[in-house]
Amino acid sequence: MWQYEKKLQYPVKIAHPNPALAKVIISQLGGPDGELSASMRYLSQRYTAPTREVQAILNDIGTEELAHMEMISAILYQLTKNLTMDEIRKAGFQDYFVDHTTGIYPQAASGVPFTAAYFQSKGDAITDLVEDLAAEQKARTTYDNLLRLVDDPDVRDPLKFLREREIVHFQRFGEGLRLVQDMLDSKNYYAFNPSFDK
Amino acid sequence: MPKSEKTKLMCRIQALGFAVTEASEYLDSHPTCAEALEYFDKHNEEYKQAVKEYEEAFGPITASSAGSDRKWKWVTEPFPWEGEDE
Repeated sequence: MWQYEKKLQYPVKIAHPNPALAKVIISQLGGPDGELSASMRYLSQRYTAPTREVQAILNDIGTEELAHMEMISAILYQLTKNLTMDEIRKAGFQDYFVDHTTGIYPQAASGVPFTAAYFQSKGDAITDLVEDLAAEQKARTTYDNLLRLVDDPDVRDPLKFLREREIVHFQRFGEGLRLVQDMLDSKNYYAFNPSFDK
Repeated sequence: MPKSEKTKLMCRIQALGFAVTEASEYLDSHPTCAEALEYFDKHNEEYKQAVKEYEEAFGPITASSAGSDRKWKWVTEPFPWEGEDE
């Protein structure tokens, strides 16, 4: 189970609201490579992981991703605080506003709502870990793209922190994959599911 | 604007909490690394101390420390996404 800690993993304090930035950053909440899909992916996959180490990696990174979801949501909340109707129109924020006002809803920058189809839990540790490695890279690329679009240092700072985490988690999943592969030998290396075949 | 004592202590908690998270994830794949275990213990101790200090001065970080004083202090302090600096 989980217990809430009344703090963000890393500070988010944005002085100037900017709904145009919220429109693109929202992809890291509910988009295809966002923090919600990351968290649900790892927390779903952890049950059938064949070693304690990989269970722990999925459990702990999946938990950290929940904190990242909260950071992205805090960024979105602060970017859309106290807006006037004029600011909403000028930023092109009407499309979101009409459905959600300034509520935080998980969707991609394109407006497509979050779906569990963004991730897989295949019940095969090698398959799952290879997806996880790709997921961390895709999220890192998304942060790179966001950092190309965002000038405000108050917004860039937490985005840079989150980008770094993708790199570290890629490393941890690589170690997890190596641990699983070390359990295999030439007889079972191919067409073998270390989570299912004994 | 200069940072308040409350914000400074929260920043310290965030930094120490991050060190603990990072060390935990590293230990997941290196569970016998003595250096990492020592790093974890040191920062975890400092983290617990800083949380205790913060909760005594400014209010609860977990709901388990929100009771006492005939008031549920969980609802008297802001939630962290508000970005407020008191």
